[in-house]
Amino acid sequence: MKVKRIAWISISVLVLLSMVLSGCQPGSKTVVVTEAQGPAVEPTAEPTEAPPAEKKVVTFIWTQEFDTLNTLYTNMWFVTVLYPIYECQAWWFDDKNEPLPNLVSEIPSLENGGISEDGRTITMKLRDDIVWSDGTPITSADFKFTYDMAMADSNAVSSRSPFDLVESLQTPDERTVAVTFKELYAPWLSRLFSGQSGAAILPEHILKPVFDAAGTLDTAEWSKKPTVGCGPFVFEEWQSGSFARFVANDKYWLGRPKVDELFFRFVPDDASMIAALVAGDGDVGTFFAYSDLPQLEAAGLKILNSFSGYNEGWYFNQHPEKGNPAMRDVKVRQAIALAFNREKLVKDLLLGRTGVPATDWDNSPWVEPSLKPWPYDPERAKKLLEEAGWVDSNGDGTRDKDGVELVLKYGTTNREVRQDTQAVAQQDLAQVGIKLDLQSFDSDTFFASYSENGPSANFSLDIIEYSDSPDFPDPNAVVWLCSEIPSDENPAGVSPTGLCDQELDSLFQKQSKQVDFTERQQTMYQITKRLYEQVFWLGLWEDPDLFGFSNRLQNVKISGATPFFNVSEWTLTK
Amino acid sequence: MTRYIIRRLLQAFPLLFIISLVLFILMNNMGDPLATMGGRRVTRKEDRIRLARQLGLDKPVMIQYVYWLAGNDWTKTDMDGDGVAETPGVRKGVLRGDWGISLVNRKLVTEVIGERLPNTLLLMVTAEVVVLVSALLIGIYSALHQYSLVDNTITAITFIMYSMPVFFFALLTMYIFAVNFKKWGLPYLPTVGMFEPEAGQTFSQVVWHMVLPTATLSFGYIAGYSRYIRSTMLEAMGQDYIRTAKAKGLPRRQIVYLHALKNAALPIVTIIALDLPFLLGGAIVTERIFGWPGTGRLFLDHVSRSDTPVVMGILMMIAVAVIVFQIIADVAYAWLDPRIRYK
Amino acid sequence: MESSTTQPASLPPKAFQLIPDDLETPPLTLGQLAWRRFRRHRMAIFGAILMILIVLYTFGGMLIFSEADANFVETGVRLQPPSLEHPFGTDTIGRDILVRTIYGGQISILIGLTAMVVELFIGVTIGALTGYFGGKLDSILMRLTEAVLVIPQIFLLLVMAKYFSQSIPNIQLLGRTFSGSVLVIIVVIGVTTWPYLARIVRAQFLSVKENDFILAARATGTSTYEIIFRHILPNSIAPIIVSATLSVAAAITLEAYISFLGLGVRPPTATWGNMLEGAYNYVESAWWLWFFPGMLIALTVLGINFLGDGLRDALDPHSRTT
Repeated sequence: MKVKRIAWISISVLVLLSMVLSGCQPGSKTVVVTEAQGPAVEPTAEPTEAPPAEKKVVTFIWTQEFDTLNTLYTNMWFVTVLYPIYECQAWWFDDKNEPLPNLVSEIPSLENGGISEDGRTITMKLRDDIVWSDGTPITSADFKFTYDMAMADSNAVSSRSPFDLVESLQTPDERTVAVTFKELYAPWLSRLFSGQSGAAILPEHILKPVFDAAGTLDTAEWSKKPTVGCGPFVFEEWQSGSFARFVANDKYWLGRPKVDELFFRFVPDDASMIAALVAGDGDVGTFFAYSDLPQLEAAGLKILNSFSGYNEGWYFNQHPEKGNPAMRDVKVRQAIALAFNREKLVKDLLLGRTGVPATDWDNSPWVEPSLKPWPYDPERAKKLLEEAGWVDSNGDGTRDKDGVELVLKYGTTNREVRQDTQAVAQQDLAQVGIKLDLQSFDSDTFFASYSENGPSANFSLDIIEYSDSPDFPDPNAVVWLCSEIPSDENPAGVSPTGLCDQELDSLFQKQSKQVDFTERQQTMYQITKRLYEQVFWLGLWEDPDLFGFSNRLQNVKISGATPFFNVSEWTLTK
Repeated sequence: MTRYIIRRLLQAFPLLFIISLVLFILMNNMGDPLATMGGRRVTRKEDRIRLARQLGLDKPVMIQYVYWLAGNDWTKTDMDGDGVAETPGVRKGVLRGDWGISLVNRKLVTEVIGERLPNTLLLMVTAEVVVLVSALLIGIYSALHQYSLVDNTITAITFIMYSMPVFFFALLTMYIFAVNFKKWGLPYLPTVGMFEPEAGQTFSQVVWHMVLPTATLSFGYIAGYSRYIRSTMLEAMGQDYIRTAKAKGLPRRQIVYLHALKNAALPIVTIIALDLPFLLGGAIVTERIFGWPGTGRLFLDHVSRSDTPVVMGILMMIAVAVIVFQIIADVAYAWLDPRIRYK
Repeated sequence: MESSTTQPASLPPKAFQLIPDDLETPPLTLGQLAWRRFRRHRMAIFGAILMILIVLYTFGGMLIFSEADANFVETGVRLQPPSLEHPFGTDTIGRDILVRTIYGGQISILIGLTAMVVELFIGVTIGALTGYFGGKLDSILMRLTEAVLVIPQIFLLLVMAKYFSQSIPNIQLLGRTFSGSVLVIIVVIGVTTWPYLARIVRAQFLSVKENDFILAARATGTSTYEIIFRHILPNSIAPIIVSATLSVAAAITLEAYISFLGLGVRPPTATWGNMLEGAYNYVESAWWLWFFPGMLIALTVLGINFLGDGLRDALDPHSRTT
């Protein structure tokens, strides 16, 4: 009897289900046109009633979900690119990477008194009409509050930069913020309340009570639901694992945006993102693999390519004690540069859609203009290796010297394109007699610190590959400093090469204090030239941010530093 | 019986302790949660040092374990980095119900898991029901028509299904029902997520999105269970009391369902009860492929970022559930089969 | 079975001449009996043939293609569909998938067999100890077994695989280079699967131990070691063999799972599992990337399961009723 009953129940459930399903449209496209959120307009609408305007919604397809929406607690790229959407900062950067005032009335400079004589104090004059989305005016107190929160010991913020270099932050009146740095700090333009690495402004009137009550902002509800914001769009809803929505802010002082809503859909991987974009279910996508581009373009998407300073490259282990002595020979490094056919790699794996960089500062005004990537010349590579004393004396295909085989350990993370690059490099270098020992790791293992014995920090690998950028659009980089070499005394250092080159070190220190553009540029020219000639770093491919936009979207401009800076100007066509 | 239950429960505590200790130590030695806190850039030196201190990651593993278990509000921590511990901690520890905060996004662990748990339960319970119903129907049919063509076909198919790895099945079904159906213009099944965001989380959306993941999860179990039911049914049908019933002239239906099935289905109860707690973990691979927002995917995401509190939370939740269900299974089996008695 | 040609001594010679029965079969050993039962099981034969074919494919393929062929990169021919030149197509950097499945199959099968050996070793030892001695040892070890069983296997696998994911050196063996992660995976799978075997062995020991011949052995002073390994174990060998066979399939599947999730054997060492890693990104565009390795895994596991089923019938007919 039990089975019979079960059978009957299941049959009736199935019947019910099929009734329900037949009443609903299967497949991913629902009947309702994506924009219409208001009452559906019946075809037989009374002519006297004007149909409500259709809501203009731009759909973003995001492959990584936000970890938090609080600027102080995240460094996740998929959140920081959204600062110009729901947050406000002192200024943004436009498509030429020039600063574009947002909260300030003008960019601080020596002429308008924004930068003090000694260069250490930056004074920002705020606009008069800036308000939060609930009507409360934005004042310098909000700036001070953001600074205080970043520096508070009970807040486990993800980064204190650049506030830990600040001596004091004064607010003489509601419209003025004066920041004094401990020492001359040239990169302030891209970090001080601006840019993706800088902070956005927190609302003091909302968060101060929270901080006072809980003693910390770590668990604030506002981090997940920043319902009071100051960007062109205001947060509306976030359903974990599925989607998030931002609606237009009527109180935005630079003018209400032209579209009504931004809808973020979280998908688990690239394939679903491509599928959604190709099917027309999304308007904006990013972080594509180059191999997806033809498919996207065939579906009519516009691909915008914005350089944000990232270049994929090889860092060579130069640590004086650990590390293969072969790597410390500049001839060996030059031979490697000549033997690895990176042009072909980019042409085949990346479909030729990007270029090979000579230095990590390519495509910016800071690189010495005569520098071109090392060419592919395996014969010259072989000659260099022989000059350096590496010959294949035992005929096993790998060169050796004094009984030591030229075997280099090469490690990177396990992203597919990197795994592929490893195999290609192994084959290329084998042609000139260098053997590569390939390793790959999860990101959090690879980038683990020296104290955790992370492979990129303990100098056990000879070549490490990843993509990094200077403080774009500022050229500052700390990874080449001697002081950043991790060791037992300095376990949190971030130098990936262990290089301590006195000339480079002094040049880097010098440029970080040079506020004058031309002087700084000259220093950077010297730096890039030395890095190039000594091959401390080998460029594999330029790693710009790839954005795809459906052809419904008009008026889109992308900035390398703050990508969606002109989101309020975007319009939708039918 | 009550004494037995209490004894088992008491035995569970040291077990849970050991499990939590071993897992905690394993978790802590794998990867660095601070490594990816820089976002796309490498984490700055100053931030690394500060965050390690603020999140308690600079302490030795055993101390971290004690804080996780019993909290740190009975001791002082060094919040301002001067090397002197002056601020009392705020954590209460697992023993008092505080599972800590996620290292990835500072949300409460209970919240993080709680958001995803219903989705997993929905999927897994549905799959379990489907498995049960199908396995019973197929198993009984096979047993009653032993060695017929249908039975042999079913046997062959169940073997194939049983041997196929889950992701291969998922990829195949995805390829056929989603990709190719779309190409051929047929109504196709969605492959990602729980619902289409524009349409909202409606019943039909969720059901439609559940079809492929549920099928993927159940096929292997249906294959296994139906064979098991088939063999126990055959064993039961071969017993003497069935022969007696047949000799007495009872109707076939009554023999099969009333007598044979009741005895054959007994071990299934135990098996189901033992399988249920594993449902909580969610099917990692299935959720990954279909983008289902459940605890399996949560586990994967947070393991890859070395987020110890969340991972420990999920693992301990499953461990507790498994132990509880083992006791339930034993008790239920004893209750159903009067021949079994526990001391 | 005794031969029936002995004559009872007390009877008249011709009265009860027992005719030697030529039709009677000579006595069969256990192995021969098992083989006969096995032979009758059609699916088991099918499974055995399938396994032989697969082993021929993967290990015999070494004679036709060299390892260099498996690793030969030519980015110009990446992602080609199956063709005459590349019967299984090419992967994302132009490596031939057919040859990679050959060499990958060797590693996958190797992992399956070796993990089974590890599991066998640990499981039988612990099962035997707890089954034979009982008491305190039993309690402690059973708690340990339970502790491992409480966590779902795949979670435990992921955590352990991640634990060992630090810098793993490459191994050189027989002139070929393997990633050290092969060893790691073998150990990890072996360590997470022994409880299943241990429970079976323990149950066997508990029941066989009660037999009279064991009592006799103890009475005659046989050492514990001899009792366990020369008396009890050979009598409980049947379920162990069956379980070991099936665990090879389980190990191959598990390796495929963790490689699929990215924590298994590291490229460029190929296994069927890591050839599937990330392949779901190419479901539509390059079905040959996941179809062939996946098919091979399914066939191998199928063959082993059939084989195991047949073995179970042949060696231990009491465990099944059909």
